Amino acid sequence: MKVLLIEDNVELASSISEFLAREGYICEVSYNIRDAQDRLISFQYDCVLLDIMLPDGNGLDILSFMRMERIQSSILILSAKNSLDDKVIGLEEGADDYLTKPFHLPELHARLRAIYRRKKLNGSNIIAFNEISLNIDTLEARVNDILLDMTRKEFDLLLYFIVNKNRVLSRQSIAAHLWGDYTDNLANFDFVYQHVKNIRKKISAANGTDYIGTVYGLGYKFNTSKQ
Amino acid sequence: MKLVDRFTLWFLGVTLLIIVPINSYITYVSIRHEIDKSAVERLKHVNQRVGEVLNRGEEPGEFTQGCRIKVVPVSDTKPADYYEITDRDVTHDPELKDNDRKITVTSWHTVNGQHFKITSGDYVTRSEQILAGLRISIVSKLIILILLLVLTARLASRIVLAPFYSTLKKLQHFNLKNKKKLALRPTRTKEFSELNTYVSKMTDKAVDDYISLKEFAENASHELQTPLAIIRSKLELLSESDIRGEQAVLISDMQNSVDKLTHINRSLVLLSRLENNEYEAREEVSLSKYTKDAMGSFGDLITLKGLHLEYKVADDVDVKLHASLVDILLNNLIGNAIRHNIPNGRIEVVLDKDCLRISNTGVPPTGNPEEMFQRFKKGTQCNHSIGIGLSIVKQICDINSFKIRYQFASSLHMVTIAFPAASNSSKLLQNDERYLHEKIQL
Repeated sequence: MKVLLIEDNVELASSISEFLAREGYICEVSYNIRDAQDRLISFQYDCVLLDIMLPDGNGLDILSFMRMERIQSSILILSAKNSLDDKVIGLEEGADDYLTKPFHLPELHARLRAIYRRKKLNGSNIIAFNEISLNIDTLEARVNDILLDMTRKEFDLLLYFIVNKNRVLSRQSIAAHLWGDYTDNLANFDFVYQHVKNIRKKISAANGTDYIGTVYGLGYKFNTSKQ
Repeated sequence: MKLVDRFTLWFLGVTLLIIVPINSYITYVSIRHEIDKSAVERLKHVNQRVGEVLNRGEEPGEFTQGCRIKVVPVSDTKPADYYEITDRDVTHDPELKDNDRKITVTSWHTVNGQHFKITSGDYVTRSEQILAGLRISIVSKLIILILLLVLTARLASRIVLAPFYSTLKKLQHFNLKNKKKLALRPTRTKEFSELNTYVSKMTDKAVDDYISLKEFAENASHELQTPLAIIRSKLELLSESDIRGEQAVLISDMQNSVDKLTHINRSLVLLSRLENNEYEAREEVSLSKYTKDAMGSFGDLITLKGLHLEYKVADDVDVKLHASLVDILLNNLIGNAIRHNIPNGRIEVVLDKDCLRISNTGVPPTGNPEEMFQRFKKGTQCNHSIGIGLSIVKQICDINSFKIRYQFASSLHMVTIAFPAASNSSKLLQNDERYLHEKIQL
């Protein structure tokens, strides 16, 4: 998947592109609107990651530019301004999703995947890994074709794990993914622990491999090398 | 009381209490004076004639020119231009019970060396009669005056006070959020033009301050969030690298703090936005639906913590609230109810037409319940919270004129949010001039 990152902060841009590169994305970076417009005209991207505040203008202008030039890439807005206006305008102007800084990199990855899945109309709504398969339309999780009795949050968490396989997922990132930004540190990490424990129990009960492991001090990891 | 009524009353009061008595007195005195003067003149003339008659050596009759005269020979004389004038009320005819005022003029004449004192008298209009005449004229004048005042005052006030009302109306509709400066109608009235000058000065300043405040809030948020995003992403990349166990713990601690910092920053920015009234409720949202959704999404947590949830949510509860605030409100309240609970505790959520009540079991609060809604005040030392959730909830309630109340009774923490009655909001929408007038009376 080819991604254009439009972000003026060099440090942040390097973090994001490094992370995405590890996930196998081809990530190019533009630091301003002019450069971004040149690239958008010259190359094709599956997705555009767009910062709103750019040195030479408002990132929202890129949205209208892309519409004018009939560029079909998906757009994910990354904004530090978590003001509602921007979110509403952005989504109305054709952005696919909106992520507020500071975000967790695995969250960005999960959102990108979700956008990508939605955009590919012929794409399957089943995400599978070995014996685990998740149907994102019906929210059904199966292991070895046995339907698991999972709650919505558990399903979301398992999907988050599979999308970010072989990545360390911090408890903070999991909590933010499950309960959103405004939950006043509801992220009592016991809950994360409980959810993870339940998922592991349910997968094991269906004779699945226990891929999810604890990373000492940091969080959890969906380890594909486990057998 | 309306301005025009005040002016009218003041004017009428001055007229009735000061102008009418003084004016009546002056009129009365001057009329009496004129009457007396002409009577005296006439009687002097009569005395003159009587003197001439005596000069001719004739005997004057008892009446000359309709006036009763008396001629008395006296030994001494007075100068020709000396007159003695008296006036007194006399009972002219006791049977008629009629009091009259009589004016007498006495003068001295010398005929052939013989001195005569000639006294003539006449009846003139009494003061009561003058007053009676005055009363009729004053009353009718007053009636005309009051009628005209009442009829024209409102019209005049509407014309004269038009710039004032226009300014008031503009102020009533003034909203900082629009960031539009007030354009006031120019007026020739000195007071109103002064008022307009100060009002526009004030509102312009407020608008400028608001804009810079908003810019500051946005910039602060932006400037802080980008470094936070960098720290967070670098920490995540670092945790992917080859690290030892103790380093992992350090990273995790840093991640916790970054999380907390992020959260505080976001909450403060949210609070300042709420204070700036950026989340104006435009339409009603179904609180029933949102509450049920929230119950659903918190169901897992409640089960995980081994809590017992009871809820009674009425259908069709619609409130005027910004949709994104509904989630924040419910998440904070239900989140608190879960976090500050005891093992095997209970959570009760009741929603009906008038209020939303969330109660939960928990340890009694240590601080003053009033301070619960202040920033960074925590009832119990709980490291998982920064103590800003309830103050956000309070702010949301305040800007939407919901009444929020916290109680602790029979080991239950209870937060009640009462919604304003629907009729009030519709009345506030009326902004016609009559409504404006009513408001001014307050």
